[in-house]
Amino acid sequence: MKIQDYIPIVGRSTIEELYLLAEKLSGKVVLNVNSTLTGGGVAEILNRMVPLLNQLGVDARWEVIKGNDRFFQVTKKFHNALHGLREDITPEDFDVFADVSRKNIDEVKLNGDVFFIHDPQPIMLVNKRNEVGGKWLWRCHIDISHAEEKVWRFLRDFVVKYDAAVFTAPSFSRELPVRQFMIAPSIDPLSDKNRDLPTDTIEAILAKYHIGNEKPIVTQISRFDRLKDPVGVIQAFEQVRRSFDCQLILAGGSATDDPESEEVLKEVEERAGGNPDIHILTIPPNSDMEINALQRASTIIVQKSLREGFGLTVTEALWKAKPVVATAVGGIPLQVRNKFTGLISHGIEGTAYAIKQLLSNPEYARSLGQNGREHVKQNFLITRHLAEYMLLFLALGRQEEIIYL
Amino acid sequence: MNWLDIIIPLMVALASVVLAFWARRVLFEAFTRWAQKVKWQGANIVTESTYGVFHLWLLLLGIYVALRVSKLSSGLVTFLGQLFASLFIISLALVVINITQRMLQLFSGKSRLPEASITVLYNIIRIAIAAVAILIFLDIWGVPVTPILVAIAALILVGLVALRDTMPNLFAGFQLAGEGKIKEGDFIRLESGEKGYVVEMNRSTTAIKTLSDELLLIPNSKLIRTTVINYGRPLKQAKQPFHFCSHLHLHELTGLKATNLRELVNVLKNVPDSVIYYHTHNFLEEQQYLTPAPPNDFAPWVSDVLGDEILGEKLASIDTIAFPTLSSLKTRIVNVIEEHIGQSVDLRKAPEGREFYFLKSLGVVTSTNYVAHDLREFIEVLRQIPANSLYFHIFESRLRLSKGMNDFSIWLADSLEEKDLADAIAQLDPYHYTLEGLRSTVIQLIEKRIK
Repeated sequence: MKIQDYIPIVGRSTIEELYLLAEKLSGKVVLNVNSTLTGGGVAEILNRMVPLLNQLGVDARWEVIKGNDRFFQVTKKFHNALHGLREDITPEDFDVFADVSRKNIDEVKLNGDVFFIHDPQPIMLVNKRNEVGGKWLWRCHIDISHAEEKVWRFLRDFVVKYDAAVFTAPSFSRELPVRQFMIAPSIDPLSDKNRDLPTDTIEAILAKYHIGNEKPIVTQISRFDRLKDPVGVIQAFEQVRRSFDCQLILAGGSATDDPESEEVLKEVEERAGGNPDIHILTIPPNSDMEINALQRASTIIVQKSLREGFGLTVTEALWKAKPVVATAVGGIPLQVRNKFTGLISHGIEGTAYAIKQLLSNPEYARSLGQNGREHVKQNFLITRHLAEYMLLFLALGRQEEIIYL
Repeated sequence: MNWLDIIIPLMVALASVVLAFWARRVLFEAFTRWAQKVKWQGANIVTESTYGVFHLWLLLLGIYVALRVSKLSSGLVTFLGQLFASLFIISLALVVINITQRMLQLFSGKSRLPEASITVLYNIIRIAIAAVAILIFLDIWGVPVTPILVAIAALILVGLVALRDTMPNLFAGFQLAGEGKIKEGDFIRLESGEKGYVVEMNRSTTAIKTLSDELLLIPNSKLIRTTVINYGRPLKQAKQPFHFCSHLHLHELTGLKATNLRELVNVLKNVPDSVIYYHTHNFLEEQQYLTPAPPNDFAPWVSDVLGDEILGEKLASIDTIAFPTLSSLKTRIVNVIEEHIGQSVDLRKAPEGREFYFLKSLGVVTSTNYVAHDLREFIEVLRQIPANSLYFHIFESRLRLSKGMNDFSIWLADSLEEKDLADAIAQLDPYHYTLEGLRSTVIQLIEKRIK
């Protein structure tokens, strides 16, 4: 993707601003470090952002730490514990983490002016800061507000050695003695998941899943996970269906590697009870265009999560100018401003009521959708993300509240 | 020798010369009358350039007629005929070249065509006339000209291929200069969006200086094919130009949060101004498309999360524009909440995850390449600057940089002495517009002033 390709979407002046910021970073090396080159949200973001930063003229680089299976089992446990899930973490686990990290400290080439360390896996690299110098940033992509204390205390000792920490939403952060910034994630409007699609493609994908488009479509896109409350969505839909002839799509990634997910899928199918208006779709991996088409074919998008990260599926729906009904969890309130860019609901009845409100007022639904798209355009596209990262690199070490570049 | 063989040709020559002189007089008088009637300035050039040489031509004509009636050998007559014809052709070519040069001088004086273009045109014409004269000369002396013509045609073809990109621009340059509708110093805007002051027009390109101080070279052929708006000459120049800045911001987390009104007000009392600025302006920046945007973050939190719509409305109606400083605005917000708490016993608590998180705004100001020296430039820049720039000069400078007034009004009053226009912009309540709405309102005010 070329940076110039974004001009028709965000305007020339926005891209000019990016060049201006990049120019100020001239001569500085920004080194990103995470734990994998492929798979997962962080690698996906870096895969897009590092080349774009390079195109702008920023010397952004990317290194990956190494680890064995045992190390990644421990970091998976850490990840779950930071999300607030119960995990049995032993002293040996901490030792494994520290041992592999020490090895990485010796092996990873740390050359740069700004070290941008992503998530907990490479967090201990900061122990080398006295030796390599530079500014150090810890980018936390996880909601740690309900983190298991033992793990958090262990990680906190390293976080405080950084110059600043970066979180996705205010509610994801913790009290820390270092500066904390909020930078929301973003979507790429030119990716397969978000780019415009021809009507033929959308219709072909609907046909593939045997879904007609004669009735309004209510959709929730998310993996089959109890925290996404798919059963609650079916219950809300059943209430709506009593007075509106419509259909429901529940679509998520295929679940062969996650036993709990298979269990949830079974529950969902049982709850749907063969209702022909409920389409439960397991979408294979790398089917971004199919997800895109299902979102674009929808009349309303629902995200009835009980817990949520930032909720990029909501961002994707808003970008497609779809009216959204979502719960106020995680990063969703930053995106769905109730009655401005969508509707916030709290329970099954509230979700059903909001869906009915939108189905019976298409003009209102349309205006929410349009506002939603504008909101994403201004705040949650990759171009804004690039700008904020560059601002952050430039602002490091400056104490003023207004910085003149 | 028969004397008649000499006298008759002499008499014929004399008669021819007399007749020709009489014809010349009639011809010149008729030409002069016609020229006076149509007021053609080129007539003088034609008469002055041909008057003297006409004598030579008449003499040659008389001698040529005499030779035809003489008894001289046909070989000698042919030779002398060729000689006189050659003399005539040479002198005619020189006269035509002279007329062309003087005509071009006259034309260039009127057209403001660049000197270089005139020289090129003159040289082309001179070479063409000389070439034709040489061809006729050779033809008179019986030299075969077809191979030369073929060679010339080939040369012209090669020349046209080599100059295929330059020629359209060259002719377009002549057309532009001839029409005189675009002149150096004019401010123009092309259909494709390029705009700026015309600083130079030469034979192939027109140079315009953009408002961001870049020099654009536009091929003349493009300029005549596209729609061009010519705004004419610059307006009154400002004492100091206006340099546009842009503003971006980072959200810094303070680690502070509130779950009810009491906590909200207690934290508010102790936070720095940058926190107040963030929560009274963030909505405006993030939701530029909404009109009117909610005026601060406190009102929707109190209404939607705490369910206290009465206080929500009170907070929403705090008129940010009425406060000259952030601390006075903070005091007002604190007072409104405290008054309300004093009247109410019910301190509702925000559900988990929906607490009020205090953030502060870290402003980053960058200079841009956009500069305005007069009102027209100012409008043109206003049309293209990012919304962040407009935001900075209207909101940030007034309240956060404590200037008390927006930057535009300060510049209009101080550097352009446009006091009324400055007041008109200062009197707008920018909090009731979207940024795009504000942009077009300011542009309309200035356009009205220019008209």
